[in-house]
Amino acid sequence: MPMGHTATAQAGSGGLTATEHRLANGLRVVLSEDHLTPVAAVCLWYDVGSRHEVKGRTGLAHLFEHLMFQGSAQVKGNGHFELVQGAGGSLNGTTSFERTNYFETMPAHQLELALWLEADRMGSLLTALDDESMENQRDVVKNERRQRYDNVPYGTAFEKLTALAYPEGHPYHHTPIGSMADLDAATLEDARAFFRTYYAPNNAVLSVVGDIDPEQTLAWIEKYFGSIPPHDGKPAPRDGTLPDVMGGQLREIVEEEVPARALMAAYRLPEDGTRACDAVDLALTVLGGGESSRLYNRLVRRDRTAVAAGFGLLRLAGTPSLGWLDVKTSGDVEVPVIEAAIDEELARFAAEGPTAEEMERAQAQLEREWLDRLGTVAGRADELCRYAVLFGDPQLALTAVQRVLEVTAEEVQEVAKARLRPDNRAVLVYEPVAAEAEDTEEAAAVAGTDENEEAAK
Amino acid sequence: MTELATMDFHPQPQAGEAKPWAFPAPERGTLDNGLTVLRCHRPGQQVVAVEMLLDAPLEAEPAGLDGVATIMARAFSEGTDKHSAEEFAAELERCGGTLDAYADHPGVRLSLEVPASRLAKGLGLIADALRAPAFADSEVERLVRNRLDEIPHELANPSRRAAKELSKELFPASSRMSRPRQGSEETVTGIDSATVRAFYEQHVRPATATAVVVGDLTGVDLDALLGDTLGTWTGSAGRPRPIPAVVADDTGRVVIVDRPGAVQTQLLLGRIGPDRHDRVWPAQVLGTYCLGGTLTSRLDRVLREEKGYTYGVRAFGQVLRSAPDGTGAALLAISGSVDTPNTGPALDDLWTVLRTLAAEGLTDAERDVAVQNLVGVAPLKYETAAAVASTLADQVEQHLPDHYQADLYRQLAATGTVEATAAVVNAFPVDRLVTVLVGDAAQIKAPVEALGIGEVTVVTAE
Repeated sequence: MPMGHTATAQAGSGGLTATEHRLANGLRVVLSEDHLTPVAAVCLWYDVGSRHEVKGRTGLAHLFEHLMFQGSAQVKGNGHFELVQGAGGSLNGTTSFERTNYFETMPAHQLELALWLEADRMGSLLTALDDESMENQRDVVKNERRQRYDNVPYGTAFEKLTALAYPEGHPYHHTPIGSMADLDAATLEDARAFFRTYYAPNNAVLSVVGDIDPEQTLAWIEKYFGSIPPHDGKPAPRDGTLPDVMGGQLREIVEEEVPARALMAAYRLPEDGTRACDAVDLALTVLGGGESSRLYNRLVRRDRTAVAAGFGLLRLAGTPSLGWLDVKTSGDVEVPVIEAAIDEELARFAAEGPTAEEMERAQAQLEREWLDRLGTVAGRADELCRYAVLFGDPQLALTAVQRVLEVTAEEVQEVAKARLRPDNRAVLVYEPVAAEAEDTEEAAAVAGTDENEEAAK
Repeated sequence: MTELATMDFHPQPQAGEAKPWAFPAPERGTLDNGLTVLRCHRPGQQVVAVEMLLDAPLEAEPAGLDGVATIMARAFSEGTDKHSAEEFAAELERCGGTLDAYADHPGVRLSLEVPASRLAKGLGLIADALRAPAFADSEVERLVRNRLDEIPHELANPSRRAAKELSKELFPASSRMSRPRQGSEETVTGIDSATVRAFYEQHVRPATATAVVVGDLTGVDLDALLGDTLGTWTGSAGRPRPIPAVVADDTGRVVIVDRPGAVQTQLLLGRIGPDRHDRVWPAQVLGTYCLGGTLTSRLDRVLREEKGYTYGVRAFGQVLRSAPDGTGAALLAISGSVDTPNTGPALDDLWTVLRTLAAEGLTDAERDVAVQNLVGVAPLKYETAAAVASTLADQVEQHLPDHYQADLYRQLAATGTVEATAAVVNAFPVDRLVTVLVGDAAQIKAPVEALGIGEVTVVTAE
C-alpha cells in the first residue's frame, strides 16, 4: 500500500490539497490535512443509491441506510450512535439517487474510533442484522415519509415532478424515499442481498479531512478496513441516458388542500461534471437565485403575482440534471399569468444572454456557496468523496469553483437557449381545494434544499 | 439467522490525547457613536459573519401593529439613500453576501455573511441599511402583501401551527408572547411605511445596538472599516427599556387543532422555565439532553427505536427573553410527529418515560455520555464563523457576559447525575405540561382523553 502522490496546491484550490490511496481490497482513500481546528471528518460514500433499486423495491437503499445504524459484529444495538456521540462526535447518513453516504465529525483525538466503527459495519453488518431491526426501521422510515412528504402541503411535489421528468422504468423515475407499498414489501432477505451486492470496499470511497496525521491515519485505515474482502458481483446500474431535451411539455394538475396555487417545473439539463452543467447553474442563478434574480424581480417585486419564485439545480451525473422551478402565487392570481411571465423572461434571457453585472453576481454567489461547502472539514470530506465516486478524481473538488468562474456569458446563453424552453420541461400545477373529511390526502411541500436526500436521523 | 463475517476484528480503539480547545473570547469595544462591537479572529474562516442586534423587541410594537418589527427588519434590505431595492439586492449578491433579518421577542437581528475579501463592501451595505433605510411606500406595501400571503402557508404547516397554538395557550392574551411573532392577518394589514418609520425612529439607534464580527480577519483593518461604515451611523442616546416579566399558565391540558385526514399528529408539549441566568441551566441542559436530545435519548429509545411510532421526538429548552436581573424565561418543550393510529399509545409511552424518569432518575452512565457529547462537540459546532457569531450575539441579547459559553462548558463537566435529574424532572413535571396536538380529532380525541393527561379541547384549523 504505497502512499499516493502528495498533490501540491493547484491554482484555484484555495491552498487545499488532498492525497489519494487505494487498499489492496479496492477501497479508495482520500486524505486532506487541515490543522486549524482540532477536529477530523470521516466520510464514506458507497456507490449505490435509489437508481440501483428495482421495480417493487423503491426506498430499499434508504431503508438499508437506516439498518446500517442498528449494530454490527462488535457494535451492539444503537452502539454506533452512542459511541460517536459519547466521544463528542456528530454523525449521520443520507441516501440520494446516486450514492449513500455515512459521516462522522470527531474531535481529532477520537478519529480512530470512527474508522473502527465504519469498518465494523462494512465488514460485518449481516452478523447483527435481524427481523426486529428491520421491522422497527421500516416503521421509522414510513413515519419519516409521512413527516417530510405526506403530511405537509406540496410535500409530494418533488416526487411527482421527478416521476414526470424521468419516464416510467427509468432508474431516476422514483425518489429515494420510495413508496409506502414498496417499503411494506421489503424483506430481510432483500436487505441482506442489498448489502452483499453493494457494500464492499471496492464500491466505496473513504475520505478523512482535518487535524490528522496522514501516515497514522492511513495505517489505521489499513488495520481496520484492510481485511474486508472485496466483492465483484455488482450489476451495472440501468442506463440513465436520455435525449438532451424532452421534446414536448409534460403537465400534471394536482387538486389538493394546499394554501395557495403553485407552479412548479422540472427542466432537463446537462449532466453534472460537464462545463455545460456549470453554465446552466449560472443561468439558473441569474434567473432564479436569490432576491436580485430576474424571476424574483419580475414576479415578486414588479408584477407582485408571486409570494416566492426561484430556481434550483439538482446535479445528477448518471442522467440529465434537473432545473427545478418553484413559484407560489400571491392572493388570487391564476397560474397562466405566472406561466406567461416566466416564458417571457426565459425567452428574453435566451435571446439576450446575461449582462456582465448578472454574470458577476451569479459567479460571486456560487463562489461563496463553494467557500461555505469547503469551509468545514465535513463539507470538504463529502465533496472529495463526491468527485471520487462520480467522476473518478477527488482533486476536482478543490478546483470546482475555478471552473465555475471560467464559464463565459456566451456559454450561459447557449445552454439557456438549448434547454430552458417550454418543450423541455415537466410542469406541476397545484390548484387548492377546500378541506373534505376523511380521505383528504394532504400532500406536498416546500421541504428543504436537500429534498433529494433521506437521512437516518 | 445471521452469518459470519470474514474480516479481522480488532478491539475498540482508545481515544488519543485531547487537544486543547476553548470557546473563543471576543474583544469588546465601543465606536464613537455608541455602537458596541465584539470581534473575533477565526483563522481560516474565509466567510465572515456579522451579526447586528437592535434593541427593538416585539413588546415595543404599538398595539394592533404586531408584525411591524418584522416588516421593518425585512425593509432594511429594500433600498437606502444610495440604492433602490433592486439595486441593494444586486449589490449584496455582487459581493457574494447574504443578509437575513428577523424580529423576535428580545429584538431585531440582521445576519450578514460575506467572503473576507469583500467585507468592506458588505459592511458598507449593512451600514447604509441601518443608517438610511428608504422604507419607500411601495416597497413596504409589497412586504406587507407578501407577509399576508405567507400566513396561510404557515397555518398549513403542522409544526408551525402547533407553535402558534402553544403560545396562545401558555401566555395571557395581554402578553405579546401569546401572539404570532410576525403578526396576524388583522395586524399586518394595518402596517405601512409611516408605521415602520415611526418604529425605526423610536427604537433603532447605534447607542443601543451591537455588532458582532467573526472570521478570518488577517490583513483586515477592522477599526478603519467600521469607522467608514457603521461608524457613520448617528442617533440619539438610548433609554433603557424595562423588560416585562414572562408569565405562563402551565396547567396540564390538551388542545387538539383539528386537521381531518392527517396521516400524522404533530405533538408539541411545553411550559416555561428558567433561562441561562439561573444556576440550574447547565443541569437543565444536561437533563434535557438525556430525556430527548438525540435518538439514543430516553424518548427516542422507546418511541422511535423500540416502537417505530416516529421519525424522532426531541426535548429542548429555548430562551424566550432574558433580563439582566434574571427574571427571564425559556420555553421548555417536547416536539415530534407520530402516526395517527399510534397517537394515543405514543403519548402514553411519553408520559411513562417522564414518570419513570421522575421515579428512578438518570443513571451515571447516561449523565457521562451526555456530558461527553455536549462538551465534546464544541469544536465541531463552532467550526464556522457564523456559529461563533450567533452564540456571541445570543449572549449579548440575553444580557450574559462574553465568557458565558466558555463557562457553560466547564459547568456542564462539573454537573452531577443528581443535579441533572432534579433539573429535568422540575423542567417537565407530568401534570404541568400544555399539550398541543395538530391532527385528526375524529381519530385521536378519544384515545387521548383516555390517558387522563388533562382536559381535552378541540379547535378547528383555519
